[in-house]
Amino acid sequence: MMEGILEGVSTALSTYNIMMVAIGCFAGTFIGMLPGLGPISAIALMIPITYGMDPASGLILIAGVYYGAIFGGSTSSILINAPGVAGTVATSFDGYPMAKQGHAGKALAIAAYSSFTGGTIAAVFLLFAAPALAKVSLSFQSSDYFALMVLGLTAVAAFAGKGKFLKAAIMTLFGLMLATVGTDGDTGVSRYTFGNMDLIDGISFLLLAMASFALSEALMSVIENKKMSKEEEKALKTNIGSLKLTKAEVKEMAPVVGRSSVLGFFVGVLPGAGSTIASFLAYGMERSLASAKDKLKFGKGSIKGLAAPESANNAACSGSFVPLLTLGIPGSGTTAVILGALLSYGIQPGPTLYTDEPALFWSVIVSMYIGNIVLLVLNLPLIPYIAKLLAMPKQILTPLVIFFSLVGVYLITFNTFDIYMMVIFSVVAVMLRLIDYPMAPMILGFILGKMMENNLRRALTISDGSLNFLWERPITATILALTIIMLLFPLISQYFSAKIVAEEDR
Amino acid sequence: MTKNRIGSLFFLIFSATYFYYSFDIRIMQVGYIEVMTARTFPYYLGVLGISVSILMLILSFVKFDVDDIFDFEKFKTFDFKKGLYFVLAMLFYGYTIRTLGFIIATIIFLIIGFKILEERNLKIIIFTSFGVSIVFWLLLTQVLGVYMAQGMIFDQLIGVQK
Repeated sequence: MMEGILEGVSTALSTYNIMMVAIGCFAGTFIGMLPGLGPISAIALMIPITYGMDPASGLILIAGVYYGAIFGGSTSSILINAPGVAGTVATSFDGYPMAKQGHAGKALAIAAYSSFTGGTIAAVFLLFAAPALAKVSLSFQSSDYFALMVLGLTAVAAFAGKGKFLKAAIMTLFGLMLATVGTDGDTGVSRYTFGNMDLIDGISFLLLAMASFALSEALMSVIENKKMSKEEEKALKTNIGSLKLTKAEVKEMAPVVGRSSVLGFFVGVLPGAGSTIASFLAYGMERSLASAKDKLKFGKGSIKGLAAPESANNAACSGSFVPLLTLGIPGSGTTAVILGALLSYGIQPGPTLYTDEPALFWSVIVSMYIGNIVLLVLNLPLIPYIAKLLAMPKQILTPLVIFFSLVGVYLITFNTFDIYMMVIFSVVAVMLRLIDYPMAPMILGFILGKMMENNLRRALTISDGSLNFLWERPITATILALTIIMLLFPLISQYFSAKIVAEEDR
Repeated sequence: MTKNRIGSLFFLIFSATYFYYSFDIRIMQVGYIEVMTARTFPYYLGVLGISVSILMLILSFVKFDVDDIFDFEKFKTFDFKKGLYFVLAMLFYGYTIRTLGFIIATIIFLIIGFKILEERNLKIIIFTSFGVSIVFWLLLTQVLGVYMAQGMIFDQLIGVQK
């Protein structure tokens, strides 16, 4: 293990890779700051650039973009109350009021220090958790993987939010269906190609990700015709104030950051949960732990209220890499896109990644930590200047985002059919967004579709076509039992919330 | 009309079509004795898709949710015309990128895009569209070593590039 870590450290610390982390953090911060464009869009936009690089550098750049996008989302949450990502919504609860009180610099500093600490604690956890889980998962068989994928997809639907369970479920199925387009890898039979040669290789994941996120988001901004409010413009023009924190403030946020980081990491490891749930849980936890006096400050610029979601969402980002790197199963839309990138580099993440590609495995973990340092040392002092980019007029920015999305996909295949297909998918995505259907479950379903089918085929072949494989192995049975609990989760939570409302009414 | 009802109808039609075409998937001769053919997974996905959309459709009639009502007033404020123009511009870009070549097609696409969004400053329009196209082309061809065809129209006019 030590040898692998050292190899990873030397890979991550090469000048070229440090430069990649820095570029990734900057690009991610900028893209993440733009309302609507979150880490998925940021990563999708950067993937075409990474194709010419070696996998380790490509993945390091992507990890930097991921962190940068989360940080960028926090910045727009704090400065203009427009979270770029769902994971930073909770940040705006106290970050924006603090900025309104003239302490934007302080709020940004708290966010950066909390993110840094959250990321650091999570990186240490990841250092131990990932190899441990990789070792355990070496004993996993096809049936277990199949069950894990079902669990992951169900969890995404279960955590989709109130009243969105079925919407997320049907979107997952939609993604799974799209994944079957093209030649079946096992039998060589073409499916749903309708005689079109351009569909023989199936739909590219990058095309789908770009169309359903970056492109559809840009189209939505065209349709919605939203202009920056005077208040937002003013906020961007005013000085953000000092970035310094007092000793008392550091003392106040230290335990909060510690607790929230641990919570965030474990929530991030869970499939489907991700940074949004982690940040809300941490915010809720801190509010209930706070004294009656402190509780009143929540929502009005509380340091604790800002530090908790920031450390939790960053820790959850690192946590979400655990199932991705060790099991090859993404737990969120973002990690699904990263998995897609890995697969296109020819790398299959899973338990053997740790032994087969130690340099890649460890360099990604180490680069996450470097990414945190870059965000703190370089991005934080530069944030007042990066934030000015937010003032860039939409009429210039939107056509550029659309151009980069189209060209990013076109440059991979040089096939204009891909551009037409992107347009179709983006129009469908816009229609689905208008009726509140989430896109992330579709990407997750799409990425997992082929793997799921292959594992099901293997499991069925081993068990001679019998469905006994679902309960014969304890691991499979346990995972499937968890899946059933997840399926019941919306009903259970509905029951409890109804009970709470009834008690409050009494 | 609720959002769930619109969505479930869309997915019901999509899943039913998907299910119908699953029968078009060929099964190899040897496939008939296999436990899982190329058709099996799509077949069950189709069944699941139809079941979930029917469930959603039923629930949209049974359960009333205020958040789920389609807001036509908000819908009216959307500028679909601009959205449609952009869709057409993207299709046009797809058509011209090979015929006119990367640089000219990109310049035209960006100018159209800026115009659709009512950018009035001509200097910004010209500088950004030309600047982005040329700098990006230089980056691709000179730095990253990506080969970019000159465009079919130039092939016709000055012959195929060697």
